[in-house]
Amino acid sequence: MREKNAVACLTLLLALFMSTAVFANALESFKNESGTLRIAGGTAHIPVVKEAAARIMRFNPDIQISIAGGGSGLGIKQVGDGLIDIGNSGRKAKEDEISRYGLVMFKWAIDGVASVVHPDNPVRSLSKDQMKDIYSGKITNWQELGGTKGVINLYTRDDSSGTREVFWKKGLDKGDISSSANFVASNGAMKAAISQDPNGIGYVSVGHIDETIFPVTFDGVHPDLETVKTGKYTIARGLYSNTKGNPAGLAKKFIDYLLSDEGQQIVADKGFIPVQ
Amino acid sequence: MTRFQEAICEKLLLSAAWTSGSIVVFIFAFMLFLGLPLLSGGHFFSLLTAHWAPQQGSYGILPMMAGSLFLALLGLLFSFPLSLGCACFISVLGPAKLRFLLRKVVELMTGIPTVIYGFVGLFLLVPLVRDIFGRGGLSLLSASLMLALLIAPTMILFFCDSFDRVPRSYLDAVDAMGGSKVQKLLYVMLPNSVHGIAAGITIALGRAVGDTLLALMLAGNAIHIPHSCLDSARTLTSHIGLVFSADFESLEFKAIFACGITLYLFTAVLVLVVRGINHRLRRPL
Amino acid sequence: MNRFFEIFFVIWSWLSALCLVGAVAAILGFLCVKGFPALNVELIFGNTEPLSALLLQKQVFDGLFPAIVGTLCLVVLSVLLAVPLGVAAGIYMAEYAVGYVKTCCDFLFDILAGIPSIVIGLFGFTLAVFLHKNFSDQVYPCFLISSISLAFLVLPYIVRSTQISLEEIDPAIRNTALALGASRLQNIIHVLLPRALGGICSGVILAIGRCAEDTAVIMLTGAVAIAGIPRSILGQYEALPFYIFYISSQYADQAELMRGYGASLILIMLCTLLFLVAFLVRKRIAYQAFYKA
Repeated sequence: MREKNAVACLTLLLALFMSTAVFANALESFKNESGTLRIAGGTAHIPVVKEAAARIMRFNPDIQISIAGGGSGLGIKQVGDGLIDIGNSGRKAKEDEISRYGLVMFKWAIDGVASVVHPDNPVRSLSKDQMKDIYSGKITNWQELGGTKGVINLYTRDDSSGTREVFWKKGLDKGDISSSANFVASNGAMKAAISQDPNGIGYVSVGHIDETIFPVTFDGVHPDLETVKTGKYTIARGLYSNTKGNPAGLAKKFIDYLLSDEGQQIVADKGFIPVQ
Repeated sequence: MTRFQEAICEKLLLSAAWTSGSIVVFIFAFMLFLGLPLLSGGHFFSLLTAHWAPQQGSYGILPMMAGSLFLALLGLLFSFPLSLGCACFISVLGPAKLRFLLRKVVELMTGIPTVIYGFVGLFLLVPLVRDIFGRGGLSLLSASLMLALLIAPTMILFFCDSFDRVPRSYLDAVDAMGGSKVQKLLYVMLPNSVHGIAAGITIALGRAVGDTLLALMLAGNAIHIPHSCLDSARTLTSHIGLVFSADFESLEFKAIFACGITLYLFTAVLVLVVRGINHRLRRPL
Repeated sequence: MNRFFEIFFVIWSWLSALCLVGAVAAILGFLCVKGFPALNVELIFGNTEPLSALLLQKQVFDGLFPAIVGTLCLVVLSVLLAVPLGVAAGIYMAEYAVGYVKTCCDFLFDILAGIPSIVIGLFGFTLAVFLHKNFSDQVYPCFLISSISLAFLVLPYIVRSTQISLEEIDPAIRNTALALGASRLQNIIHVLLPRALGGICSGVILAIGRCAEDTAVIMLTGAVAIAGIPRSILGQYEALPFYIFYISSQYADQAELMRGYGASLILIMLCTLLFLVAFLVRKRIAYQAFYKA
């Protein structure tokens, strides 16, 4: 018995030691580096990328990482044009984009796209058909869905958004989105807008959901990490970082870091599903 | 200093003036050059009248033009009566101390950054509008109310200035006839500053159309021609701000230049109008 | 009837005045009430010690420090670019220009003053992309491009304030030195410019305020959410107005929103201060340059 305990202790210690070694190694590769790294694109990625960048810059203040949003389309196009070093996207790059720019994709997290409403909204569950009718403008009042009286305020994203693309394809079956829908510029902005609008409905990356917004049960499945992970919730996608050609220098190290144990831990901490 | 040095300096100053002036032309030429694929073949005018539907390959900017115009006019509608009232207060009607105070407030307002108006609008006005009307928090109404505040100081200071230009003798004449302050204002000052007021309105209109932040933050950015003040709408300026990140080769991106060129031409026309008014103003009455 | 109309007009005028003051008070009051609790050292420096942040030894992540530094650098560079050109152009317009040159330049400056800032931003952005594709891989939308664009934006203010303050000088003063045998240039340098300095300064201060508050231009030309202290003029940067804009639309939690209020309060104090100084320096010229078309 005692031996067993000792073995267990040893393994635990060893595991701890190894994990710290791995953790240290993950950042260690940025030692003696300097220069700037420009990241832009997908807005679902921002919490993770921001945290990773902060850790790297804290470890080595000579590295300068700038992070901008703009949407997946922007990430892919700007990295293709060489304006940024890493372009994030919340969807796979299309064939023609890959061949045209010579993009290399790295998937480092899995994420869902959930339809969200204000927490005070009594409507907690919607079917796909209802969702399509809401977004196409056929249903215009919450009353028609069993909620309290109030005109539905639609929120959507612009064409550059990967979140929109995924939601539109898998959630709305490429149905119409009413032209009277309000536009917001990012996942963060969607969350902020819905949390302030009692009659609003929008869609947001599952990783961005917190108590200020409520994810609607969609076709009987509640969107959360579990259902996305098991594949029960179908409106899911990968989060990608793209580079033009094979990444080199800081860009490579940054992507390696995201895929390292520590990077994947950040992914999990921020509410996404790690790929490793 | 020799005559030679004088000549050199004059040439330097001249080139500075021309450089500064040519920036205006350069900006326009550059946008024209980049937007050229759209302009050739009469494509430009079809852009101005078509709807925005990238999925169907249509990149018209009509809804944005409507949005810009509605927002600016609505802002002007709220702002003009307010500004005229305030200008009259500052120039004639108020008690001396309050006149001075209001003037200081107006001058202070010119220093408030646009983004602050947007920020406060978003967290103070939008919820208020939503509570009162039950819908349309992010709407033309919210944006135009804030816009009215943004352009008010421009108009007020301009109006005051044109009141000040009314000849002293006219005012003395009213005083001599025993006219009251209001009478002086209504029957002498206002009719004599019509040109100045028109110029002030034109300049304010230019500001209203050119403003980006308030429209972007408060108007909701929906791409359709708005039907009521509570509708969400997108302006030319906020459209540029939202779509500038599109693919540089795409028509979508080129369409932004149509927005830019439209805005540029519109503000240039307004400048011409103001110059015309001022020119007339300088002629003896 | 007329009597009624006159009374109505007075009431309306009082109401408008009240309404305007009320609105300004509401805006400022709202910001102060919400923003003052957020104003502290942590707001600016986050978790980093202020001293090591100021000495640029450590980077600040949760504070406004990089945004404030970014805005200050941006203002300095833009104004440095705009002032020599603008003042020179203003002197030429006031003292030398005649005939069609004057009319033409006058018209061009009027247009420049009227161009919406987003159009100038779009110009800067496409210029950067154009340069990137055709000349150098090192050029992106960046600090330098933003500064140049902002310099274009404020150029007309500086030209106008210089021109107006020179033109306003009493002809008696203008002619004295000339009559005593001074050359035109000597007259400008030794007599006219010192007199016009107040006006020119207020124009420059207005330009500073405009650079500090403008968001539309920098939004398109390189301001980003997270970049740290700007280290090179070819790098991206953070700026205070952009930070406020960014936070307003996508704050992640209440703490971040509070930082937004704090940032608004700092920006408004900065801009109000600048404008007050400008008006104190030379009231009349300041606002003529500011709102004259």
